[in-house]
Amino acid sequence: MSDTQHESVRLAPDPAPGLTKVGGDTPVVSPPAGRRKRKGIGWPARLEIALMTGPTLVVFLSFVILPVAMAAYYGFYSWQGFGPPTEFVGFRNYVFIFEDGTFLAALRHNGVIVVLSLLLQGPAAVLLALLLNRQIRGQTLIRVLVFIPYVISEVVVGTGFSLMLHWDGVVNAALGKIGLGFLQAEWLSDPNIAIWTLMGILTWKYIGFAVILFLAGLQGIPEELTEAAAIDGASYWQIQRRITLPLLGPTLRIWAFLSMIGALQLFDLVYIIWGQYIADTAGTSTMATYMVANGRTAGEYGYGNAVAVVLFFVSLVAALFYQRFILRRDTEGAITGGRN
Amino acid sequence: MSFWHNASTGPGKAFWEKTVADFEAANGGVKIQIQAIQNEDLDGKLQTALNSGDAPDVFMQRGGGKMAAMVKAGQLLDITDSITEDTKKVISEGSFTAQTIEGKVYAMPVAVLPGGFFYSKDLFAKAGITETPTTLADLQAAVQKLKAADVQPIALGAKDAWPAAFYYYFFALRECSSDTITKAGQTMNFDDPCWLKAGQSVQDFAATQPFNNGFLTTSAQQGAGSSAGLLANHKAAMELMGAWNPGVIASLTPDEKPLPDLDWFPFPSVEGGAGEPGAILGGVDGYSCSAQAPKAECTAFLNYMARTDVQKAYYEAFNAPPVNSEAQAAVEEPHLKSILAAYNQAPFVSQWLDTVYGQNVGNALNTAVVNMLAGKGDPQSIVDAVKTAAKKAQ
Repeated sequence: MSDTQHESVRLAPDPAPGLTKVGGDTPVVSPPAGRRKRKGIGWPARLEIALMTGPTLVVFLSFVILPVAMAAYYGFYSWQGFGPPTEFVGFRNYVFIFEDGTFLAALRHNGVIVVLSLLLQGPAAVLLALLLNRQIRGQTLIRVLVFIPYVISEVVVGTGFSLMLHWDGVVNAALGKIGLGFLQAEWLSDPNIAIWTLMGILTWKYIGFAVILFLAGLQGIPEELTEAAAIDGASYWQIQRRITLPLLGPTLRIWAFLSMIGALQLFDLVYIIWGQYIADTAGTSTMATYMVANGRTAGEYGYGNAVAVVLFFVSLVAALFYQRFILRRDTEGAITGGRN
Repeated sequence: MSFWHNASTGPGKAFWEKTVADFEAANGGVKIQIQAIQNEDLDGKLQTALNSGDAPDVFMQRGGGKMAAMVKAGQLLDITDSITEDTKKVISEGSFTAQTIEGKVYAMPVAVLPGGFFYSKDLFAKAGITETPTTLADLQAAVQKLKAADVQPIALGAKDAWPAAFYYYFFALRECSSDTITKAGQTMNFDDPCWLKAGQSVQDFAATQPFNNGFLTTSAQQGAGSSAGLLANHKAAMELMGAWNPGVIASLTPDEKPLPDLDWFPFPSVEGGAGEPGAILGGVDGYSCSAQAPKAECTAFLNYMARTDVQKAYYEAFNAPPVNSEAQAAVEEPHLKSILAAYNQAPFVSQWLDTVYGQNVGNALNTAVVNMLAGKGDPQSIVDAVKTAAKKAQ
């Protein structure tokens, strides 16, 4: 960095008048009375910024911002996808979306998946991570096994499970063979069961990711703390509860955030297992599968774009709320810029 | 030129490869790039391609509302004047009806694909069924006999929605007059009580549990577990399907040869309906040129598809009734003969209803039928879903 910026750096090493003492000996810097105006940055720095952010910015604008803007534009048309859209319908598509019971059902399924993902995967993953963080035999092997489902492609997982869980599939056959025939069910198509089947598959698939994250978090907790607690006579569970879990907090909160966004946008597994048409029938449709079914498959591209916009806003609002109220203490200073 | 079709496996794929190679050899300088697209993916990909201005020059055309939308957007080449005299000699004028909008022809028909029940003669014999069902009561009796013989009566690929909706289409064809069906295509009006009655009939029929285990998650054409695969492997006795089915079944038998005991009977009559007895549903598969295609080469290729020798090869490859009258005479299989007979005698032939009513309404209709079969919804909700979808497109 060129030193022309030196003056504008907030924590200029200027210990004189502006420094006050608060409480003990924490120095707090308050702006000096006659602080010079923030100087504009010089052109070499501008060039540097342009060079470094330029390519990313171009890609980001053309492949993220532009499509979002176009979706918003198309969402105001009744458009069958042939030729440019001409039939402007205002907010009619949005009215239809929120009047459509099928969409509301999809939205509800998304909500259920968000909550159940957190409730099912969170505790299980913490326990697994705690277990795998201890020195046990076959630790590496178990770690790999837990993580494998996450690495397998969604298409393979989806196809595999749909074959196994079909009425004539191996699950029902196995249940029959071991005398549990009364448990045989239409795992995929019974509307009372299908969502739980989906949750089972999702948990199996994504728990490895949570475990790896938590393990990384656990490695970051200094051993001195647990050692000291152990010397003071704390039991294993007391240590986990009073020391490990609170220190794992930031990791847990980031994982919950990722899991939530993933659940809101869930598409691939549902689409592969239930196909283009019957996800809603089975009660596993999500906003994304609804969008494809009623946009692309139905050939109503204007309507599909409006659904995309709704999905975008639902995710955005959820993300912002989470950032604002839950992630804030973790990210303070890092992205919020701290207090001034 | 680029060329899209939906025969992604087996002899159908080979047929198009050979046809294109022969055509290229006969017309020096013309190069055709083939792309075989899995049937369920074709419509979506085609729409994306047409919309991006990167349409294939020649592509499979299902007709109906989908074709009307393409014509409306100026995406199709008008081939009316390019159909040669040779072609007109072997393809009757009536066969062009489904490909014609306001007097202009937009596609070359290659196969007539009416629907009905495909069944295994061996399994029918095993269940002691001697006569093919002609009335709904016969059909229900046959279902019970098959069940008693421990045979799954009817294979249904409801995962793809449209095969389940075929039951609704056929009951609607029996309950509604041909006039009502045709008019609904133009006005999108589904107020006639026959639409509700059709749904009721489907519900009543499904209540007799005629379908294979797990039919809601069974797909139509992919693999041995699909509905066509169940027929091909004698795991189910019959399937309501279009005339492309023998080819699909043949590709799924253990030896990938046509099923030897396959036969066909038309959808049975239903008492008291307003539909004309013998009316039949069926598509006419054709091929269109896109508006940007080189006209001379493209229409030459379409005319080439209609030639008798090519049409005979088509019939042999797809095991489906060709549209060319000379090639029809070469048809040997009894099931294809009965299909052609029923088709030629039908007082009224309608396209598949999802094609007639366009993708949007058709898709809603198909999904609503599956919902009802799964116990979510009733005949009224089918009519409601269709009306809601029609509103979206207006």
